[in-house]
Amino acid sequence: MLPLDSLFTEHRELGLVIAVAIGFGFGFVLERAGFGRATKLAAQFYLHDMTVFKVMFAAIITAMAGVWVADGVGLIEFRALAESAVSFTYLWPMLVGGLVLGAGFIISGYCPGTSVVATASGNLDGLVTFVGVIIGSVIYGELFPLIASFHTSGDQGFLFLPDVIGIPAPVLAAVIVAAAIGMFLGAEKVERIFKRRRGELPEGDPSPQRPRIFALSAIGGLALLALITLGVPQTPRADEPRTAVLISQDELARRIIDEPWTLRIIDLRDAASCAEARIPGTQCAPRRTISTLGLPYDTGTRDLVLVDETTATAPDEALAYKGRLFTLEGGWSGWRAFALVKPLLPEPGASSAEQEYYTFRAALHSALSGQKPAPLPPANTTYVPRKKKKKGGGCS
Amino acid sequence: MKPPKPFWNPYVAGVALGGVMLVSFLLVGKGLGASGTANRLGVAAVEAVAPDHVRQNSFFAEISTTGRSLLDSWLVFEVLGMFLGGLVAAYTSGRLSRGVIKGPQISTAMRLSMALGGGVLMGMAARLARGCTSGQALSGGALMSAGSFIFMFAVFGGAYALAYSLRKVWN
Repeated sequence: MLPLDSLFTEHRELGLVIAVAIGFGFGFVLERAGFGRATKLAAQFYLHDMTVFKVMFAAIITAMAGVWVADGVGLIEFRALAESAVSFTYLWPMLVGGLVLGAGFIISGYCPGTSVVATASGNLDGLVTFVGVIIGSVIYGELFPLIASFHTSGDQGFLFLPDVIGIPAPVLAAVIVAAAIGMFLGAEKVERIFKRRRGELPEGDPSPQRPRIFALSAIGGLALLALITLGVPQTPRADEPRTAVLISQDELARRIIDEPWTLRIIDLRDAASCAEARIPGTQCAPRRTISTLGLPYDTGTRDLVLVDETTATAPDEALAYKGRLFTLEGGWSGWRAFALVKPLLPEPGASSAEQEYYTFRAALHSALSGQKPAPLPPANTTYVPRKKKKKGGGCS
Repeated sequence: MKPPKPFWNPYVAGVALGGVMLVSFLLVGKGLGASGTANRLGVAAVEAVAPDHVRQNSFFAEISTTGRSLLDSWLVFEVLGMFLGGLVAAYTSGRLSRGVIKGPQISTAMRLSMALGGGVLMGMAARLARGCTSGQALSGGALMSAGSFIFMFAVFGGAYALAYSLRKVWN
C-alpha cells in the first residue's frame, strides 16, 4: 500500500533522491509554463494572460482525479493521505495569510516557489524575492510570541470540503472538475477581451482555436477519469464480505503503550468478567449490547479492536464500522497469558532479539500486572484526541 | 542567437504539474512545497549565529527538534530539485540568461526593492497560513482541504485588490 513510509525511515537516502527528482519535475514544468518570469505571472492580475489560473487549476484537478482513481483501486486511502499531506484548517490565519501572500505576489511578481525557478533561470529579481521570503519567515518567527494566539485562531482541525458541503468526496471531485472546465472557458473569453483591449489581438481574429481544443480534450479526459472513480470505489469493497483482521498480542500491547489514542478496544465478554479485569483503556460492551454503541455511525478515525474470551468473531455492527477493524488473536485468555504472566528470563547466550523481547515483555508485565488497579473503563464517547500537531504548515 | 522556445500550453503544463504532484502524493504521501524550505534556510542562518536564540523561540524550536540538521529535510531536497529542474528547463529552452524581469516603466532598483518587500510579505504570510501557493493552495487544494481553498481565494483576492494601484509597475 502506498505511500511508502520506508522512504522516511530505513530508505531515507532513497527518499531524498526521490525528493530531488520530484522537485526537478516541479521546477521543470513551472519554467516551461513561463513561471520563471514575473511579467508572465503578474499578467494574471491584469487579465490579459490567465496562465497562472489555468495551470494551477488544471494541476489541482489532475492530481485530485488521480488521487481518487488511486483510492478507488485501493492503492492509497484518501483520508490517510490527506491527513499526512495537508495542514489543519485555521480559518483566520489562512484568510489573512492568503490576502497578504496575494499582495506580496503582485508586489514581487512571484510566489515563493516560482521565485526559486526564476532564480534558476538567471533572474536576479527572483533571487531577491526568495531572499525576501527567507527574511520574512524569520521576522515572523521573531514576532511569533506577539501573535501566537492569532496563529492558531479558528482552528478546525482537519477539515475537508466534502465534510463541509456534505456530499460524497468523489462526487464533489467530479463537480470541481466540471466547475474548473467552466472557469477555463470563462478565462479564455476574458483573456481575449483584455488582449484585444491592449491591441494584442486584431479585431475579428478567429483564433485561438488550437489551445481551446487542447484544453477541452485534456480536461474532457480528466472529467472522464473523475467519473470513472465514482464507480470504482464502491464495487470492490461492497462485493467481498468484510472480516476483522487478526491483531497479535504483541502488536496490540505495543500500540497500547505507544499510541493508545489510535485505538478503540471493546471487550465483548459479559459485564462481570470485564469489570474484574480487562485490557487497559477497554470499553466493556457485552455482545448483546453492542448495537447500542452506534458503531456504524462512528467517524472511524480510530482502529476498532474486539476482545472476547478467545478470538472474537465480529458482530455485524462492528463489521459496519467505517475504520479499520481488528480482533485480538487469542482473545482475553491469550492476553492474560501474554501480558499478565511473568516472562521467563532468557537463557544465557540468547540472541539480542530474544533479550530485547524479554525486556519488552517484562516491562509490559510490570506495567500491567495489577500493581495498581485497572483504570475505569472510559465512558462511551466518540471524542477522538487529535493526532500529532502539524508543524510549520502545508509546505513542510 | 536563437529565439527561446515558446512556453507550453497552460493546460498541458497544468496536467504535467498535476502529474508530478500526484506522483509525490502516491510515493511519499506529501505534496509539493517551497516556503517551508525558505523558513528552514532562515532558521538555519539564525541558528548559525545565535543557537540559543533558536532554542528559546518556540516557533523556531518547533522545526529543529528532530535532532537532524535543519537542512537535512525532505522539503529542502525537493526545493533543491526544483532549482535544478528550473535550471535545466531554462537552459534547454534558451531562456537561461542573467537579468531582471520588470515592467517597462520602472527602474531596476525599484523593481528589486519591490521584489524584496513582496518576498518579505510572502515569507510572513506563508508561515501564518501554513504554506504558500505550492504547499497550501496546490497540494492542499488537490486534497480538498477547506483551509487551502480559503487560502487560494484569498491569494487571488489580495493580488487583484492591489493590481490596479500597481498597474504602472507591470504594464
